[in-house]
Amino acid sequence: MSQPNRLDRGGSIDRSRELSFTFNGQSYRGYAGDTLASALLANGVDIVNRSFKYSRPRGIVAAGAEEPNAVIQLGSTEAAQVPNVRATQQALFDGLEARSTNGWPNVQRDLMGLVGKLGGGFMPPGFYYKTFMAPASMWMTYEKFIRKGAGLGRAPAERDPDTYDHVNRHCDVLVVGGGPAGLAAALAAGRSGSLVILADEQETMGGSLLDTRELLDERPAEQWVAEVTAELEAMDNVLLLPRTTANGYHDHNFVTLHERRTEHLGETAPEHNGRRPVRSRLHRVRAGRVVLATGAHERPLVYGNNDVPGNLLAGAVSSYIRRYGVVPGSKLVLSTSNDHAYRAALDWAESGREVAAIADARAEPKGELVEQARAKGIRIIPGAAVVEARGQNRVSGARVARINIDDFRVEGDGELIECDTIASSGGYSPVIHLASHTGARPTWRDDILGFVPNMVDGVQAAGGVQGVYATPEVLAGGWTAGAEAARAAGFEALEAALPSVETRHDGEAVALYQVPHQKATLRAPKQFVDMQNDVSAAAIEVATREGFESIEHVKRYTAMGFGTDQGKLGNINGMAIAARCLGRTIPEVGTTVFRPNYTPVTFGAIVGRHCRELFDPKRYTAMHQWHVEQGAEFEDVGQWKRPWYFPRRVQGRQESMHDAVARECRAVREKVGILDASTLGKIDIQGPDAREFLGRVYTNKWAKLAPGRVRYGLMCKDDGMVFDDGTTSCLAENHFLMTTSTGGAATVLEWLEVWHQTEWPELEVYFNSVTDHWATLTVTGPEARKLMSEVTDIDLDRESFKFMDWREGKVANVPARVFRISFTGELAYEINVQANYALHVWETLFAHGEKYELTPYGTETMHVLRAEKGFIIAGQDTDGSVTPEDLGMHWAIGYDKPFSWIGKRALTRPDTARADRKQMVGLKPKDPKVILEEGAQIVFEPEHAIPMPMKGHVTSSYYSPTLDSGFALAVVKGGHQRMGETVYLPMVDGQVHEAEIVSPIFVDPKGERQNV
Amino acid sequence: MSNTVDDKIKTFDTRTDANVPIESPLAYTYRRSGAPAPDKNSQAVLHERPFLGHLTLRGGAIVLDEALRSVLDMSLPAEPQSLLFDASGERSVQWISPDEWLLIVPGGEEFELENRLREALGDAHFAITNVGGGQTVVDLEGEAASELLMKSVIYDVHPQHFPVGKGVTTVFAKATVILRRPSETRWELVVRRSFADYVYRWLLDAGAEYGIGVQR
Repeated sequence: MSQPNRLDRGGSIDRSRELSFTFNGQSYRGYAGDTLASALLANGVDIVNRSFKYSRPRGIVAAGAEEPNAVIQLGSTEAAQVPNVRATQQALFDGLEARSTNGWPNVQRDLMGLVGKLGGGFMPPGFYYKTFMAPASMWMTYEKFIRKGAGLGRAPAERDPDTYDHVNRHCDVLVVGGGPAGLAAALAAGRSGSLVILADEQETMGGSLLDTRELLDERPAEQWVAEVTAELEAMDNVLLLPRTTANGYHDHNFVTLHERRTEHLGETAPEHNGRRPVRSRLHRVRAGRVVLATGAHERPLVYGNNDVPGNLLAGAVSSYIRRYGVVPGSKLVLSTSNDHAYRAALDWAESGREVAAIADARAEPKGELVEQARAKGIRIIPGAAVVEARGQNRVSGARVARINIDDFRVEGDGELIECDTIASSGGYSPVIHLASHTGARPTWRDDILGFVPNMVDGVQAAGGVQGVYATPEVLAGGWTAGAEAARAAGFEALEAALPSVETRHDGEAVALYQVPHQKATLRAPKQFVDMQNDVSAAAIEVATREGFESIEHVKRYTAMGFGTDQGKLGNINGMAIAARCLGRTIPEVGTTVFRPNYTPVTFGAIVGRHCRELFDPKRYTAMHQWHVEQGAEFEDVGQWKRPWYFPRRVQGRQESMHDAVARECRAVREKVGILDASTLGKIDIQGPDAREFLGRVYTNKWAKLAPGRVRYGLMCKDDGMVFDDGTTSCLAENHFLMTTSTGGAATVLEWLEVWHQTEWPELEVYFNSVTDHWATLTVTGPEARKLMSEVTDIDLDRESFKFMDWREGKVANVPARVFRISFTGELAYEINVQANYALHVWETLFAHGEKYELTPYGTETMHVLRAEKGFIIAGQDTDGSVTPEDLGMHWAIGYDKPFSWIGKRALTRPDTARADRKQMVGLKPKDPKVILEEGAQIVFEPEHAIPMPMKGHVTSSYYSPTLDSGFALAVVKGGHQRMGETVYLPMVDGQVHEAEIVSPIFVDPKGERQNV
Repeated sequence: MSNTVDDKIKTFDTRTDANVPIESPLAYTYRRSGAPAPDKNSQAVLHERPFLGHLTLRGGAIVLDEALRSVLDMSLPAEPQSLLFDASGERSVQWISPDEWLLIVPGGEEFELENRLREALGDAHFAITNVGGGQTVVDLEGEAASELLMKSVIYDVHPQHFPVGKGVTTVFAKATVILRRPSETRWELVVRRSFADYVYRWLLDAGAEYGIGVQR
């Protein structure tokens, strides 16, 4: 028989569709409707992994998101590798290939098993903590071995063939969880007409109703689930999202849902109509109200060797039998603290397999399910529990003994009962993870032996998450929550219409977490609390003995609830053990904080389409295509792509950057060059108070700038530090055009708006960005006038169109404003034309420019040329700590302006007047071949003992073809008074460069070349 | 040549009647990224309407409304996030912020319109800025249009929340667009010139599952 644990009947699997899959290289068969876990259990696969720290064999424990052991690696090819998949959540598909993440050479015969005992000794509780503490340098070494041994899955080394995306959604009511509470809530909200999203992490809606023994309206619960699901699906105002996990609950009811769209179909998305659909999708939901119907996780009991394969949660046993027709063993012992877990024994017995015994921790178990078990003749041992499992690779027996919970001790030796499966239940923990993401601390309730969530505004909870477990109450609570949420969104809710369910009478549960053992916890067989992180009850006891009393500290000391597990199975048990050791109650110990994400989310879904070519906007100018065609290399300036330099092919070889830049520099200094300066920020300023406003935001004076004139301006923050610069032209008495640096465009516009709106709203002025409207073409060099005269009707006479004038006219038959401003120190015309015409104007200039050897140049040449003139670039030569005075730009400060401009007050502080502030100077390396490193530190005494007093640093440094030498701009303490002095720049390689402090203006200090 | 309305403000006609080539902000993008023609299966269709006249109006609602009525026989949408069209449907004005509106008119009308508005506004405190070279309009139609927008913008585009006649400035992927809904079936995106390539490529990518096509 190929699937020894498969029943002939039952479950919602399709026995007519057989699927094959491999696990650790071995082929198996399962059915459509299986999860990987149910198929593995059907095939009798006991060991699915080796444990993280002790390398112990581990089997499947749970049937859902809380599974700690069956965390597997998926994928048949390198590109399709997916780590951290829970086998309990992975739908089976034909051809699925899965591997254990741990165990070498395989999980059955693990070599690490030997090392395991040793390794375990190496890794006592507090291992991480201790390795982090000392010596720090060893962590890098430990880490490699831990990783290798731990095998927590691995990322693919090849490019993912799949795509992922994001969808933004808005709804009135988001219901998380499609069990009885969630379905009822969605029905109530959906029927009211509100916009509803219902998300559930499983393959189908239904939650606990998928394996319940109860009847709804005297019919199997699945029928009601199917009807409700169909009704919801038919509603236009409802979106059903199965296979979708609400992983993070963020501020303002923003919830991220991770929808796995094709993971049940194949390891990569199968092609559909010639296209590969997205593999998973992140729904970014902004909900009016959220209904949390996340249910509860069963808690296992903590007893000796409770991690040997064959130890399962009681509820999981029922799930596998009722949903998948799989009985995960042949002889069962159930250890329970409550009635509900009796389902496992009843389902087991009804499958025709043997239930050896039920160990019930309560002295007098009573309740309907208990009576049903008794009626079936199942042996019930009251006041007892499984204290220890026997077996190596599979459970072979259970030691059951009478226990005294209050005194935490075992009474008598008990008996050894032969079995291959132990199911345990210590009660239920509401799934409060999402509610905790909001920051609301949960509250312990003794009556349900669990934490229930506290709610922030706009969220409601229903069903198991609130500790409400009886189906009629769950359904009613769900309806009420859905109706209230809809009502809060302005919709009229309808009368509840819910199926009738017989109320079951359960006996009271008892509080049992760690089961006592004959031996003390530290000597008893390992009693696991968190199987994923291999944390035992003894480890928690050690932590408390070592003085860790806060549960947050215990968590970090032991690693309990770390990583992808997030404490789903173990946290409450861990807290209970800490509480016992510390002699406190659970609420006194408190709970740790659960963090997003609830289950792992693939990076692809987080990134969505924001990758590769769409990673970030690339902004292009109107001449971009021309630059590309000319083979320009590009530089990122903010989001803009700017030509960096234009390498030519010389004798079949591409020019180096150095050669290209030198050629471009010479072209501008000797002939004429052209720069695409469209990226400069441009702000149109209108209003009778525009001039006054400029006077307040710039350091210099604007009162007398006449129409037709242009002025350079410096802008300071209120701390007196330079933050942007540029030219502003007076278009008319009340009309100005401001330019900003490329990177500063948006910031400057916001800055102007902030000051206008908050400080000087009485000034009549408006600002509008025209950065994209105008393209800017800079024609500069000694031949610029001749070239311009061929293409413009503007009078270029040097007397009527002077330096720092602007004129309007036509350039290449296109209306243009032309500005005589220069960032190169040469004769320059900055042409502004409406961007849609820009390429035509640019090409016309080239049509006429050939005879003048018109040369396109990029940002690198622009930098060299401006630095030769000592023109700063805000953000490169300044860093938010440089005043206009530091830059030596006293001429651009109007201290006597009538209104106090931004930064003036700060510039009167003693600190900004210090003589030893870092001041901008030029540096000329003694060796002209040396190009100083930008950022290099400057010292005055190279022989000084380390640490040498650092006196400044290089801000800009280039090779100048004009000077045939390296040169630099720098800030040096007291630099303005140190002209001619020698400074030293010690480099990483031991060299020490020497340089002379000089004026920052290296070329044409009198400005004769630009003013022609 | 001078375009001065008065000596306080310098208006400037940036268009020419001369026969010179003109390029839309998407010209480079069409050449590089292509423009798949729509077919019968296309559930989303893009169509750029370049070279329109775009004017940003700043000022008080009352004076701007009066001027607009007298010059264009249109009223100013006073309601935040609203959009109005003239009778022909060719001219629109959209609320952008409490003192800002965007006026879009057939290309070539904007300069004369600006001058006439300035005349009508007289001494009022206002600003009119020609931004036509800096932005383009992209129409989006088709049954999957709103789904495509949900993959692109954070703003709620559900018809209940985004009825016809609404317009907002919003985040589009990692850029910003003005998004408006002139009719039941058509959306308009007003896109900054330098971001047009990114927005277009994003739409093509996000629209692939709906068989997106580009009408040219």
